[in-house]
Amino acid sequence: MGRHTKTSMTLSAALLVGTAIGANSAAAETITVWSGFPEMVPFYEHVAASMADDHPDLEVNVEAIALREHERRIALGLTGGGQGTLVIELAGSTAQRYIENELLPAVPDDVASFVTGDGNFSEFFINTASDGGTVYGVPLFRGQGALFYNTDMFEAAGLSEPPATMADYTTYAEQLTERDADGNPIVSGWSLRLSGGGQGIAEKFWINLFQFGGSVLEQTDDGTWQAGYANEAGRNALNQYLVNLYTLDTVTPEMPADAEAFQRGQTAMFIRESWVIGDIAARAPDLNYATAPLPVGSIALPVNLYVNEADGDGADAAWAFAMAANEPENLVWLLENVGWLPNRINVDYSSVTEAVPQFSAFVDNPAGFEFFTLPAIGPIEEVLTRLAAQLEQAFADPSLADDPDAIDAFLAAAAEETNRILEREGLLAQ
Amino acid sequence: MLRTKKWRFAILAILPTLAIFAWVRMFPIWETLRLSLHRWDILSRDKPFIGLENFRELFQDQLFLNALVNTTIIAFGVLFVTIPAALVIAALIYHRTRSRFAGFYETTVFIPHIVSLVPAAMAWKWIFDANLGPLNAVLEFFGIPGQAWLFDPVLSVICIIILCSWQALGYAVLIYLVGFKNLPHTLFEAAKLDGASGIQRFFFISVPLLRPITLYVSVVTLISGFNVYAQAFVLASDSQGAPGRLVRVLVLDMLENAFRNYRVGYAASEAVILLCIVLVLTLVQFGLLREKWNR
Repeated sequence: MGRHTKTSMTLSAALLVGTAIGANSAAAETITVWSGFPEMVPFYEHVAASMADDHPDLEVNVEAIALREHERRIALGLTGGGQGTLVIELAGSTAQRYIENELLPAVPDDVASFVTGDGNFSEFFINTASDGGTVYGVPLFRGQGALFYNTDMFEAAGLSEPPATMADYTTYAEQLTERDADGNPIVSGWSLRLSGGGQGIAEKFWINLFQFGGSVLEQTDDGTWQAGYANEAGRNALNQYLVNLYTLDTVTPEMPADAEAFQRGQTAMFIRESWVIGDIAARAPDLNYATAPLPVGSIALPVNLYVNEADGDGADAAWAFAMAANEPENLVWLLENVGWLPNRINVDYSSVTEAVPQFSAFVDNPAGFEFFTLPAIGPIEEVLTRLAAQLEQAFADPSLADDPDAIDAFLAAAAEETNRILEREGLLAQ
Repeated sequence: MLRTKKWRFAILAILPTLAIFAWVRMFPIWETLRLSLHRWDILSRDKPFIGLENFRELFQDQLFLNALVNTTIIAFGVLFVTIPAALVIAALIYHRTRSRFAGFYETTVFIPHIVSLVPAAMAWKWIFDANLGPLNAVLEFFGIPGQAWLFDPVLSVICIIILCSWQALGYAVLIYLVGFKNLPHTLFEAAKLDGASGIQRFFFISVPLLRPITLYVSVVTLISGFNVYAQAFVLASDSQGAPGRLVRVLVLDMLENAFRNYRVGYAASEAVILLCIVLVLTLVQFGLLREKWNR
């Protein structure tokens, strides 16, 4: 065998191996789901399993991390590239900046038809998944707040109904607080978000502010924005925190808080999203509790699925995954097992909502109940993160309690900072 | 001719190292300086040159100023706790080297330095916990009311100083021990013959002779103090429940501006300020300690 023959055989073998590997990789499609909610992992795995028959070669990797880290990962991943095909779970307001900078492609025509047609989603959810009439994401679920209250504690305090007004919240908190022999609270009457990094403090404040008729950001007729909390509504909302903290002493910053405290009987009531229902079922199944709508309205934070690639086999598989996630069977599974509220409206969820009455506060909204969402503007995270840092300082300052002038001065300074950010981005109302 | 060849060989030998150093050390610093002069939004394609605008905005930014004050207090707090404590502990260990427990002492002091930061911070978070932490339990045992360590604006900063000092101490003690072992015995023997007590020998012989070590340890401690981040982050973080009060420090503020607000240029200007502070303080420390050493 001559030298040339040997060389050509080796090359042919290499080519064959290469072709075989290529063919194999073309057949097996891999997509990765980036989620900011670790509790969603079983849902995405369930969706992947439901696709096995139609997409036998599809491999779905689910990578869920804490929301703030998830947002950082997206910022770096989308600008850096090289991440493979991604299905990205993202709030509509956060996605706006990526869409404006052409880092997220529009959905294919069939997916757009699914989102906008057949009465699958209400106008609100279509809008939050779109920009300028073009659909960029597939709506999936939403964060919506309601009151969770411990019915045993309510009964012990002689309370038969949930609070109906914000004034009731304070009165109830006072009645529900359990104290030690020295009068120090050991079970908070109303758990409030008072500390921790990120924008959570500001979001929770916005929910309370909304009940008083205010809004962190107000849109003017010309489409620009301004701070909307340096006013009476802001004063009332902030003062309610401070009165509970320092005048009535129904809660302290260092007391256990949030869902964990509620599940352990360390707080009597708190405002949270529907995922807590699933969490309680898993962690504290014997807890006696109920839910109630908030007095005026709630935040609705729609979370959509986006894909990082415009076309190709990977993109097709990723959009197929986003569509499969919206199959009725999967959405009912999501509500039943995770607790996040699906956004698709033409699905019968009654099997779950009837079995778990706590969902009623989220789905049976009273007449006139209003919703608000975070504006889809670039600097929304910065506005909220900076306001959260300011609020954290205010919550640690007892001198502000019941001092309207001091509260007004604080709110004016915070609003000035908010407006400065809007001005820098060319979004401030004149 | 031979000298030229040796010179060329030396250059060629050092060139790869210099190239790596330039790439991983100098280039990022240069890039940070460049970014700080641009409106460099991580997502937008238009990244215009804006001169010193980022720096002008920084000094009107209350969060940055808070972070600057907190970081400075933490860095100097750690320095003032670590250096004297390390010196004393190293002296105690050195003068007990004949003890069979000497190795145990050294290891015990050094372990916090090699323990992974996050679990260590989580353990301290539990210690400082207002309701369940052993620190308040001990205080209450002695009739002292428990404190909201992680929530009070002043105490939360002190908690970070304690945590950082606990971690920095082991390294400082180790370096001081090396220093102690290299001190000339004759001086101590002479002082002993002249009637100097142990404390006098420590203050009038050991401390002055250890100044170069003190210089090195204090520079390293101060720089790591200014780079504090994970300690503040972990002590304040929790998936649920009541996390601690977030003590805003410079690196945390930088990360927030870069990856949460997408303002990389603005965050770079913070990094430049941090670089300048550390550089100036290092030069001042060198100046002060070298001046005294040369006297």
